Amino acid sequence: MTSTRTYPVLVVEDSDEDFATLQVAFKAVGLKNEIRRVTSGDKCLALLRSSTNESFHRPALVLMDLNTPGTDGRGALESIKADPALCDLPVVVLSTSANVKDLEFCYRMGANAHHVKPVRYRDHLQLLEGVFAYWLGSVFLPNGANSLL
Amino acid sequence: MTTAGATGTTLPLHTHPYSVKRHGRNITNCDSEPVQTPGCVQAHGALLVLRLSDLRILQVSDNVQAVLGYAVDTLLGQTAEMVIGQEGADQLRTLLGRQSTVQNPLYFLTLPAASTGFCSAQHGVLDVTAQTMDGVVILEFELAGEAGAVSPDYFALVKNTVARLQTTDSLLQLCDLAAKEIRDLTGMDRVMVYKFHEDGHGEVFAESKRTDLAPWLGLHYPAEDVPKPARDVFSKTWLRPIPDMAGALAELVPLLNPDTGKPLDMTHCFLRGVSMMCTEYYQNMGVSATLTMSIRRGDHLWGLVSCIYYAGSKHLSYQVRAACEFLAQVVSLQHNAAEEKEHLAYRLKLEDLHQQLLATASRGGGLATLVECTPSLLDGIDAGGAALYEDGRWYCVGKTPTVAQLRGLGEWLINVKLPSSPHPLYSASSLARDYLPAAAFAKEASGLLALPLSHKGGDLMLWFKPETMQTVNWAGAPDDKPTVMGPNGPRLTPRASFALFVESVRERSLPWKQVELEAVARFRLQLAETTVECAGRRPSLSAELARSNEELDAFAYVASYDLKEPLRGIHRYAFQLMEDAALSNDKNRHKLDRMLRLTLRMDSLLDSLLHFSRVGKADLLLETVDLNEILNEALEMVGRPGRAQLEVVVPRALPPVRGNRGWCREILVNLLSNASAYSDATPKRVEVGAILPGEVHSRPGCPQGSEQHTIYHVTDNGIGIEEKHFAQIFKLFKRLHTGDKYGSGPGTGLTVVRKLVERHRGKVWLDSSPGKGTSFYFTLPCGGNR
Repeated sequence: MTSTRTYPVLVVEDSDEDFATLQVAFKAVGLKNEIRRVTSGDKCLALLRSSTNESFHRPALVLMDLNTPGTDGRGALESIKADPALCDLPVVVLSTSANVKDLEFCYRMGANAHHVKPVRYRDHLQLLEGVFAYWLGSVFLPNGANSLL
Repeated sequence: MTTAGATGTTLPLHTHPYSVKRHGRNITNCDSEPVQTPGCVQAHGALLVLRLSDLRILQVSDNVQAVLGYAVDTLLGQTAEMVIGQEGADQLRTLLGRQSTVQNPLYFLTLPAASTGFCSAQHGVLDVTAQTMDGVVILEFELAGEAGAVSPDYFALVKNTVARLQTTDSLLQLCDLAAKEIRDLTGMDRVMVYKFHEDGHGEVFAESKRTDLAPWLGLHYPAEDVPKPARDVFSKTWLRPIPDMAGALAELVPLLNPDTGKPLDMTHCFLRGVSMMCTEYYQNMGVSATLTMSIRRGDHLWGLVSCIYYAGSKHLSYQVRAACEFLAQVVSLQHNAAEEKEHLAYRLKLEDLHQQLLATASRGGGLATLVECTPSLLDGIDAGGAALYEDGRWYCVGKTPTVAQLRGLGEWLINVKLPSSPHPLYSASSLARDYLPAAAFAKEASGLLALPLSHKGGDLMLWFKPETMQTVNWAGAPDDKPTVMGPNGPRLTPRASFALFVESVRERSLPWKQVELEAVARFRLQLAETTVECAGRRPSLSAELARSNEELDAFAYVASYDLKEPLRGIHRYAFQLMEDAALSNDKNRHKLDRMLRLTLRMDSLLDSLLHFSRVGKADLLLETVDLNEILNEALEMVGRPGRAQLEVVVPRALPPVRGNRGWCREILVNLLSNASAYSDATPKRVEVGAILPGEVHSRPGCPQGSEQHTIYHVTDNGIGIEEKHFAQIFKLFKRLHTGDKYGSGPGTGLTVVRKLVERHRGKVWLDSSPGKGTSFYFTLPCGGNR
């Protein structure tokens, strides 16, 4: 079980409320992974590129909000998928709206999934629980990131 | 007749000296009568022609015995002293020396009764006037008026009248007042101001009359009633008295001036012998005496003041006549000023109106608003109808020819008349003369004022004046007694005169006024400026429109993202508070519950806004769509909410349409879900049908032009919509009902419907009665169903 801590989940989210909801859902699913939160695309990239050092292990999954300050989720997604060292990282986009342009952009950039965060709290929780269960439970991730679940 | 008679191409008269007494009855054509040289005087007075150089008598009227007491033979060759005495002759010489008497008869002497031929001395006092011309002096001897009458202070009377005349504001006011004052002054039975129209026909413009007489005001007369020779005389002289219509004529002896061999030009003689035609005409109307004055604008004879008397002869003294003559001159001088005031008022009224029209036109809605709005092109201007031709369509107001007739007229104007005209304006008071087919609509449009709207042509602005006949008051016949046959035979009766008038104004309108021509020409220029301005604004407008569309997109996008995030937070806190409240059984629970609902409502509004900003954005991809299939799909989508079942009736299979499949479905989904939501009926019923072009079917509220396309309709038995809300309901987020009654849709459904219909270049409208149901109609013409 200790090794699960070495595969954190990176959350790019500037909204405290949305992050709090995310934490509730994470707990509800019963996961023990470290959740590492950053509030901007720049910080996300910086963290990922320093992930070889001891302070932060390469994450099992990136949850990406699109509208963050500075380099937004789109920019961060684009950089991750363009980086040979990072491009195999699964990036799940959690957007606020199902705008067709965003949807197309994200998948073209290589996003692994695109979800819309509902306003209704229960729906929001349900969605996130589903995302965690799927990405950390159902699928096999590269480098055996979730094999210890 | 100044020279025409003398050069004599038409008359045998020049070989014999003319005398109206001898030849007048043979005259059949008024225009050839030598009225200025009648060779006779009215026999109530006498006339002497003296040689200017020695004052010897050359010619006398043959009634000198009766009037002056001398036989003709005793006077010829004698000097003036014989009749007017030494003193009188001296006064005459003084007058001739001091005053301009050339063609200007001036009073200089009153002959006492004793020295005249009238034995009944009371009536014998004579006024003597003198004038000079062509080497002769003409002396006229007339009765000094009704004896015994106390002569009023004419100077004071006239002075007051003139003061009043100067205060009038319009031509009509001036003429009305002049008629009244002249009747007061003369004691005539009827005084008319008679106006000559441009085409020569006359109109009784103002009238003052004995109350028991029928009015002639507003009656029109043919040009022939005042023949050209008479009009020529009136344009030279101010006054024409005929004190006794039945009076005899006295011939000049000899008829020709022995010095020159010429007939005497009596243009300026008060006693000038009257044409038989004239006396017949008047006598047929029962007129026994007249006094006529001219009203002139510069050299132009504008009209006449015609004073009429019915009860026998009416001798007016030289003084009264002089006063009348003076008033006629004042009216003539004042005339210009009054008419200018009137025209100014008219011009200002038209300009004011045109400014309003320009404001209307520049507000958009096209030029058609000029005829469809109030005020319209027709207001203010003296016309019966107006029409506007733009983009191949006619817009009419008032009495106009039919659209078919307008089409022909428009083509003629655009292709023939206007291009050949030096000014971009065509006016006619007898259109049928220029354009034969106009005879068919002469009643509405004998007069036309036409001008192109723009320089490129192809559009028109028209005003119509009705045939004069249509505007004439026929109720009052010109005669008090309906005489068919005058005492002098059938010719020249007022009735015949009217028949003649009717003929003369057939297919003619009253003329257009200069003020009107100027006003519409100015209006055209202003309108052109406005139109150019609008056209100039158009490119930037469409750029603005594109920009604002982009901004709307951006706004909708931002709204759906940036507003949703905080909204989600609010919802979350409200949810958590709600959970806590539920545990502690807090009485504020219901407020939190309400708050949660509101956040969800806002969520759905934001979704709708985003949807609306995207809807219909894609290119219109046309395919043949089976509406029956689409309808089933739409019903499935609507049917889902657990509402009462919707009964759908399709009376006959819907025709296929060329359109965008998805959009067509969305139109139906929105209309059907509205039909289902806004209904209390059991069962809820909705009919979906189509009305084919040309099919006999009512099309309530159908916009112009849409009847030529297939009209689809969705008719429900729901709650209905009040007519005052018809336009509003298509507005974004507009809802007519509060709260959750009839569901809580976001209020974008019909806005989306309209947008999608318009993308198909169609129209959507509705017909509804509250409590009974609503029909929504729409067309999808872009794919064509012709």
